[in-house]
Parts: sequence; C-alpha cells; structure tokens
Amino acid sequence: MNERRMLEVDHVRKEFGTVRAVSDVTFRIDDGETFGLLGPNGAGKTTTMRMILGILTPDGGAVRWNGAHVTPEDRRRFGYLPEERGIYGKMKVRDQIVYFGKLHGMKEPEVGKRAAWWIERLSLGVYADRPCSELSKGNQQKVQVACAAVHGPQLLILDEPFSGLDPVNADLLIAIFNELKASGTTLILSSHQMWQLEELCTRFTIIAAGENRAAGTLAQLRSAWPTRVVRVAPADEALRAPFAAVSGARALAGIDGVLDYEVPASTDFATLLRSLVNVAPVTRFEAIEPSLHEIYLHAIGEPKA
Amino acid sequence: MINDFATVFVVEFIRRVTSRPFIISIVIGMLAVSLFSFMPLLVSQAFSGPSNIALVGDPHLLARAKPLLAHDYTIQAELPPQTITAASLKAHHVSSAFVLTATNGRLALAIYAHDPSSIDTGAIARSLAPLALQNALHRSPSEISALSAVPVTVKTLNAKFANASDAMAARGIAYALLLFLYMLILINSQLVGTSVAEEKTSRIAESLIAAIDPAALLAGKIISSTAIALLQMAAWIAAIVASSAVAASALGSPGGSDAAAASSSTMLFSLSGIGTFITPEIAVAFFLFLLIGLLQVSTVYAGFASLINTTEDMSNVARPFLIVVVAAFFIAFTALGVPNAPFVVISSFVPFLAPFVMFSRIAVANVPLWQVGLSLAINLIALYAIAIGAGKVYRVGMLMYGRPPKLAQVLNVLRS
Repeated sequence: MNERRMLEVDHVRKEFGTVRAVSDVTFRIDDGETFGLLGPNGAGKTTTMRMILGILTPDGGAVRWNGAHVTPEDRRRFGYLPEERGIYGKMKVRDQIVYFGKLHGMKEPEVGKRAAWWIERLSLGVYADRPCSELSKGNQQKVQVACAAVHGPQLLILDEPFSGLDPVNADLLIAIFNELKASGTTLILSSHQMWQLEELCTRFTIIAAGENRAAGTLAQLRSAWPTRVVRVAPADEALRAPFAAVSGARALAGIDGVLDYEVPASTDFATLLRSLVNVAPVTRFEAIEPSLHEIYLHAIGEPKA
Repeated sequence: MINDFATVFVVEFIRRVTSRPFIISIVIGMLAVSLFSFMPLLVSQAFSGPSNIALVGDPHLLARAKPLLAHDYTIQAELPPQTITAASLKAHHVSSAFVLTATNGRLALAIYAHDPSSIDTGAIARSLAPLALQNALHRSPSEISALSAVPVTVKTLNAKFANASDAMAARGIAYALLLFLYMLILINSQLVGTSVAEEKTSRIAESLIAAIDPAALLAGKIISSTAIALLQMAAWIAAIVASSAVAASALGSPGGSDAAAASSSTMLFSLSGIGTFITPEIAVAFFLFLLIGLLQVSTVYAGFASLINTTEDMSNVARPFLIVVVAAFFIAFTALGVPNAPFVVISSFVPFLAPFVMFSRIAVANVPLWQVGLSLAINLIALYAIAIGAGKVYRVGMLMYGRPPKLAQVLNVLRS
C-alpha cells in the first residue's frame, strides 16, 4: 500500500493562560480524503483547525504537511471557512472573491475567471456586482465558501459549513463538496449535522475536552460499537421471549408497532431471527447499526437520549 | 510576503479612497483650506466699507490731513464745512465723515459714522498727531516729521530669521503646518483603527489571517493609510495653491480695493508667503515626521482596534492614547514660542511626541543637526518596537472575542 499521508496532527497541545484548549489531539488525513472532525462546543476543534492553518502555534506536538512543518507557502494551498463568518459588507461579491483569490497567490486573469466560475456554481450571478451586505445570510455564506475555495486549495477546512443554510443551499454545498472531493481536494469538515457528515466523510476523529475520543472510518467506528439495536415487528409480546435468551439483551422504549432491543454486537443475528420466527410471525427484522450521532454521543460521554 | 502586502495595500487603498468618509473628508478639507486662502479677500471685503470716508472742513486743513489718513482710509470725497446727515454719507458712498476743525491752533476731529464701533479713535489720533503739532507749534510738516520720527529696530537673537516680522510670519506658517500634521496623523490613524475594528467585528479577520501573514495584513493596512494621508495632503496643497492663485488674482483685479490688495501682499497664506517661509528643510522635516508620526500612531491604533469587540469600544480603548497625541500637539504648540525650553527639547526625542515637537522646533529655530538625527534614530527604533508589539497584540487580539483583555494580559502578549 503506497498511501501518502498529507496532513499529520501529532499530539498537539494549546493553552491560553490557564485554560487548556487542546490537551492531546492526533490524527492523520490522507491525500484526497474527506475527514470529519467532531466534538462538542469547546472540545478544541477550532483551536486544532487554527493550529493546522498556522494561525496559532501549538504549545506542544506538531502539525506536518507532507512530512514537514507547515510553511507559509503551504498555507497558500489551504482554504478555510471559519465558524465565525465574516465578510466585507461594502465590498462587491465578485471583488470579495477575487480579493481572497489574490491573497492566496492567484493572479489576473485567472482569479477573475475562477471567481466567475464560483459565482455561477453557487447561483450568485444576480448578486455578483452588489455589495455583500445586500445579500441574505445564506447567500453571504455561499460567498464565503467561494472565498475559501476560489484558489483551488489542496486542503479545504470547513468549520460548520451548513449552519444557517436552508435545505436547498445545504444540498448545493454537499454537491459542491462532493465535486471537490472527486477532483482530489482534501476536506476537513466540522459540523453538528451528523447525517451530512455521514454522507460526505470517509473518516472521522471525535474529540472532547481537548483530546481524542474515537477515530476511524464509519465502519470501523461501528464495528467497535459494543451493541446493536434489533427492531422487530409486529410488537407481539410473544416475541420478547427469544430476546430473553440473548445474554446482555435489554428492551428499549420502542416506537409504536415495533419492539426495540439492544443486544451485544457479537450476537448471532441469523439464529436470533430463526428463534423469533419460531415463536410468532415476524414482518420486520432489522439489526440497526449505530448512527454517527450515537457513536459521537457515546464517545464524548453524553448519555443517550 | 511582498505580494501579500501589495495585494492588501491595493485593496485597502481602493476601499478607502472610494469610501464615503474619505471623499467627504477630502472635499471638506479642500473647502476648508480654500476658505483659508480666500480669507484675506473676504476680510478685506468685509472691512472695505468702513475704510471709505469723506473729509469735511477747510480745504487747506484737509490738504494737510489727507496724506496722514490715506494709509488707513480711502478718501472718497473732500467737502467744505457743512452739516452731516445720514443722507449725505449715502450720497457720497461713504461709511463715515471726518469733520476737521482748527480753533486757536487746536485741531479737533468729529466723526459721523453709521457704525461708531468700527472707528479706531486712538489710531486716528495717532495718525493726525503730526498735524496737531504743526498747528500748535507752527512748524513745517517736514520739521514735524523729522522731530517725531523714532527709528525702531528689532534685533533677533534667533539666527534663523532676519527680523521679528519674519519670525512671526514663520511661526504662523509653522502653526498651520503643525495643525496640518496633527490632522493628517490623527484622522488617518483613526481610520486604520476603524478598518481593523471593522474586520474584527465583522469576523472576517480569521479568514484573512488564515490566508496571509498577519504582519503583511497589518503592514498593508498601515502603509495604505500612509499613502492615503499623502494623497490627502497633496489634495489639500493643490486646493491651497489653486485657491491662493484665484484669491490673489481677485485681490489684484480692478474689483478688489487697493487696501485689500496691499494687505494681501503681507498675508501669511498667500503663495509667496508659503514659498518664502516653507524652506526645503522644513518641507523635508514635515514629510519625515509626518511619515514617522503616522506609522507610530496608526500602528498603535491598529493594535488597540484588534482588542475591541464592537466599534463603539474603540473610543474607550484608545482614549488614553489619544490624550498622549493631543498632549504632543500642545507641547508642539508651546514649542513654537519656546523651541529650546528644556521640556520641549526632551519631548522632541520622545516617541509619539517627537513627530510633532521636533517638527515645531525645526520650523521656528535652528535645531542642532545631532538633535534631529538622534530624534529620528530614537523614533525609528521606537517605530520598529511598536510594530513588533502591535503585531503581537494584533495577531492575538484579532482572534480574541468576549471581554476585552486586561492590561496584564496585553503585557503578557507583548512579553511573549
């Protein structure tokens, strides 16, 4: 396997006075990968992102890009959409995108063409020559995405890119991120909209209180999950008996018309299904894998809802 | 780094020169300096009315009085003794009538005027004193003139100026330049602060800092502000030159009175006045200290602006520093009168004060070259230190939201 590691975050630590924002965070992101960085508010995600971008210097550990420390020249090939959105209200949409392109080292006429492409792609054509302050919040956010990506970054870091967007614009962004992914751009996404991350990301790291809690692909995270939920219909009381025979099984408060049981992940589901069918007619049998949301809550130590 | 700086410089420059506050400040500034240039004309016109008088009395007496009053008044009519009424003043297009009489060798003057407050009786009495003496002593006018002439000369101990009137004129020019310097530095530094505050409060700062080195961002802002100040200065100077030329031609035109034209020749803000008193050394000092002052003050403003959360906080955070700048102006103003007083000399080396104070000293006194060199050296080193410190504060402050940091925290950042 000849896999090139593009970005390495190696046991980074960052303190602000007496506050330890990041204690020990480690992960690696491969070339072209779409990576989900998850964690609750205050977990240290933004600080970690800022350390990757060189905005902050780690107090310990290191951030490496292709095996070396991140240089200002590397940073030109990064793009960043911060969680705290900002925009020059009086500057026109096109000028704003061009400005950010230039800050990342682009020159005319290329930057003008790229800005025009992004304006078109994000359906901002009618606003192109209007001041940004005249745009809706969602459209301003799209302008910021264009500013972060206009230079065709190798690494694009997006902190809460979907917050405040309506479903149509959220879908548009997902489509764009998939296009970037297909073109080989490495993406780091942080979001609290787990289903969107499930759709986009190939690997995840969950951090809490400034340190790693879980990491891997969704399949790896799921395989490490100790239990599964088995959903059976109809909600026939007779169907409870086979579950009693499964060691470690416990009934959950299910929804109407079904029975939900949490069982160990090692359970032989084929045997369990046969036992259920022998007791009563079964119209539905589903071994539900944990969602990213559940894995996340478990990893950060929050009780299940 | 250079490319980043250039990009920020160009964008900031365009943003600022196309912004409404800049356009308003340029237009108001140009109007204000033009008004300044037209002041002699306006003043001369405002006072042209009271200077038109009629002389009334014995023709022989009037013939001797006329040369004595002609310096201050335009004598429109010479009338025989008669009763003076408002109608007669109007008929002769004069604002007042001077009725001269001589009884038993005693000269007397009665003035009939629409506006008695415009009459300077003391000055008129002094003007007519030789005539009074002629009448009383029966001496010829030349004898009286020779007897009453007291040659007065003023010897200046300040080798910079040949005489007292030159020194006074130079001080007036220096004061105008100092005011100019102060306005350019303060206005543009506050605009740098506003620009940084805007980026901080609009939360665009993080995107910018992620893209380029904060030092390049800060430098681009400050240098563009300096360029804008120079542009502003050029616009104001152009307005002064153009309006002075127009004012001078208006004063010299047939429509302008002789008295006004005469007064214009001595006006400080005429073109010739500026040319005479703004020597190359003063021009170079102005330019150098404008640059140093702008860079020092605007860099500090940028540092302060990076610490605030709302633009309203800016005035609170920067107020202590504003007091320093205002104090510098007042010390510099004092320096125009006492350029070599010990506290003035010391102030002319102190960062933030020196750009104003040393300039004042250079404008009105012969400052030893070593003092100028030492002041420049200290202030350039200080500028470097200020830039390093403000850069550190800016780098941290731009990402810091919530309660403004305490002084101890800022000092920690500076020590880091």
